[in-house]
Amino acid sequence: MESLIQQIINGLSLGSVYALIAVGYSLVYSILLFSNFAHGGFLVTGGYICYYMLTLTNNNIWVAGALSLIGAGLSAIATERLAYKPIREKTNLTLYLLIASMGMSIVIENFWVIMAGGRFRALPPVIPTYPIRIGSITISFFDILVFLITIAFLTGLEFFLQRTRWGLAIRAAAYDLRVAGLMGVNVNKLISLVFFLAGLLAAVSGIFLSVRYTLYPQLGFITIKAFVAAVVGGLGSLRGAVIGSLILGTAEMLTAGFISSQLRDVVVFGALVVTLLFKPTGLLGKAISEKV
Amino acid sequence: MKKVLLLAVCLALSAAGLASAETIIKVGYLAALTGDWAAYGQTEVKAAQLAVEEINASGILPKGLKIELVPYDFRSRQEDAVNAVRRMIEQDKVVAIVGANSSGVNIAVAPLVNRAGIPQIGTVSTNPRVTVDEKGRVRPYSFRICFTDPYQGKVLAYYAAKKLKLKKAAILYDVSSDYSQGLREFFIENYKKFGGEIVADLAFRGGVDVDFRAQLTEIAKAKPDVIILPNMGKEMALTIKQARELGMKDVIFMGGDGYADFMWDIAGDTLEGSYWVNHVSPDDPALRPFFEAYRKKYNDECKEFVNGILAYDAMYLLADAIRRAGSADPKAIRDALENTKNLKLLHATITIDPNTHDPLNKDAVILYCKERKAVFHDKVRPEEP
Repeated sequence: MESLIQQIINGLSLGSVYALIAVGYSLVYSILLFSNFAHGGFLVTGGYICYYMLTLTNNNIWVAGALSLIGAGLSAIATERLAYKPIREKTNLTLYLLIASMGMSIVIENFWVIMAGGRFRALPPVIPTYPIRIGSITISFFDILVFLITIAFLTGLEFFLQRTRWGLAIRAAAYDLRVAGLMGVNVNKLISLVFFLAGLLAAVSGIFLSVRYTLYPQLGFITIKAFVAAVVGGLGSLRGAVIGSLILGTAEMLTAGFISSQLRDVVVFGALVVTLLFKPTGLLGKAISEKV
Repeated sequence: MKKVLLLAVCLALSAAGLASAETIIKVGYLAALTGDWAAYGQTEVKAAQLAVEEINASGILPKGLKIELVPYDFRSRQEDAVNAVRRMIEQDKVVAIVGANSSGVNIAVAPLVNRAGIPQIGTVSTNPRVTVDEKGRVRPYSFRICFTDPYQGKVLAYYAAKKLKLKKAAILYDVSSDYSQGLREFFIENYKKFGGEIVADLAFRGGVDVDFRAQLTEIAKAKPDVIILPNMGKEMALTIKQARELGMKDVIFMGGDGYADFMWDIAGDTLEGSYWVNHVSPDDPALRPFFEAYRKKYNDECKEFVNGILAYDAMYLLADAIRRAGSADPKAIRDALENTKNLKLLHATITIDPNTHDPLNKDAVILYCKERKAVFHDKVRPEEP
C-alpha cells in the first residue's frame, strides 16, 4: 500500500513534467494541425540558456529562468519563421511541416552538440531537491515545486486563452485558421505568439528536467513520451494533454514498480496504439478528418 | 653477371652496416586520435611513447634492438581500425601491436592479427571475446593487460560480501548493454558463493531511461545493504541522486569501471561514500613516477589515467616478452607473452593465463568517494569462495 502511494506520487511528478511539454505540443497542433517534433529542441535550448545564464548572473535563478523562457520562446519563433513559414505559405499539406519539424529537431540537437559539447552538465544547486518524509512516504521538495509551478503556468495559460483578446484570436484560429485570417486576425503574428508560448512552456520543463536529471543535447528525446501523452489525451486539447500526461506518468511508474521495469515503454506505446485503434481523437480531442 | 655480383656485394655491405648499428623494430599503436574517444587515444599514445623512450634507453631489449612506435588513428570507428591494422601489418611490417582500448575494435581486428600472426595487446578491452573466440578457444595472438568483466564481477562480489560485510545486495542494471549484463551475471554468481543474498534485481534501458524512481522504490522496499550499479557514468550518477532523493540515506553504492569524474557534476554530494572497482587509481603511490615523468614530458595532468597507465605498462609487458624471446620475431614474441610470469609492472604484477590470455588474479583497485574525489581505498585480489 505504501509503495503504491509512493509510486503514484512518483508518477504524478513525472506526469507533471510531461504535461508542460504535451501542452506545448497540443497548442501548436491546435493551430497548425501538425505535430511539431522540434519541440524537444526548444526544451534543450531553454535548459542550456538557463545553464549559461546561471554562470553569468552568479546563480540567480529568477533572472536566468526568465531569460531562459524568453530565449526558448524566441528560438521557437525563429524555428517557425525559418522552417515552417515558407512551407505553410506554399502548401496547406501539413505532412511537409511534420517532416520539416523532424529535420529541425536534428538541427537544434546538433547546434547544441557543437556549441556546448556532448558532455553531461548539471545546473548548480539553485533549486532544492531534499527529501520530505510524511510517515513512510517520501516526496522530494523539488517534486512539490514542479507540481505547483506546472499548475501555475497552466492556469496562467488558461487565463490568457480565455480572458485576453489574443487568447480569443488563438481560440478562433484553433477553430479555423483561414476564417480567423479572413476576419482580420494577423495570422503570422498569431502563429509566432503560439510558438512563443510553446517554447516558453518547453523551457520551463527543460529547466525542471535539467535539475531532476542532467542537461545534454539529447535531453529532448523525452518529448516522445509527452507526445504520446498528448495523443492519448487528445491532440489539440490542452486539458486532454494534461490529463493524458498524468495518466501516462502514473501508468509508467506503476508498471515499472509492480509488473516489470522493462515493460514501462511497452505500456506507454501500447497506450498509444490502443488510443489510435479505439478512440483516435484521444480522451478529449475534437474530431478532425485528417491527422498527421 | 657483373651486375648481379655488384648487387650482392652491395647487399652484403649494407647488411654488415646494419648489423653493426642498431636494428629498429616497429610496434604499431592502435588508438582513436580523433572522434569521440580522442582524449583517451591521445593519452595512450603519449604514455606509450614515454615508455618506448625509457625502454630504448634502459637496455631491457636484446642488444642492438630499438623500438619505434607507429601510431595509427582508427577515428573511433571499427572499419577504420581494420584498415589501420592492415596497413600496420602489410606496409609497416610491425612485429607487434598495442591497443586499442575498445573491446569492440579488438574483437573486429582479432581475425586479422591472428591470421597474420602478429601479437596484439589490448589496453582497456575488458570483454572476454577479445582474447577468446565464440567457441571458447583462445585466440593465439590476442592478449590484454586489463582484467576482464567476469573478474571485475568477482572482485565486486568479494569486496561487498567479504570486506565490507554487506550481505544483502540489490542490483539495477542496463538491459541494453552487454557490459552491464555480463557484470551483473558474474556478480550474482560470485556474491552467492561468498554468502551474500540478492534481495532485488531490476533493470532499465540505457540511453533512453533517465528516471529510475520506480525501480528504486521497489529496491527500497527490499531494504538492501548495498546497491550494485554495473553501468555507465550518467545512469549511475542519476540513480544515486534519485535514490537519495527518495530518502535512502544509509544504503551503500558500488559499481565497476564505468565510474567517471563527470558523475560529480550530476550527482553532487550524493556520490560521497560510494565504492568503485577500477584498474588503477591516480593516487596509488606506486604510480607517482609515471605521473611525474608524464607531466615533465608533456606538461599535462594525464586525466585519462586508466588509459595512460595501462598503455605505458602494456609497452613494458611487450618489451619484457621481446627480451625473453631474444629476438623480434612475432611468433617468438607471442610465445614469450603467453609465458609471462610474475612480471612486476608499475600498476600490478602480471601473470598471463595461457588458456585465456588474460592477466591471472590481477590486483584490482577500489576507489572510494570522499570530499568530492574518488580516492585510492584498497587493492584487492579476491579469494576463491
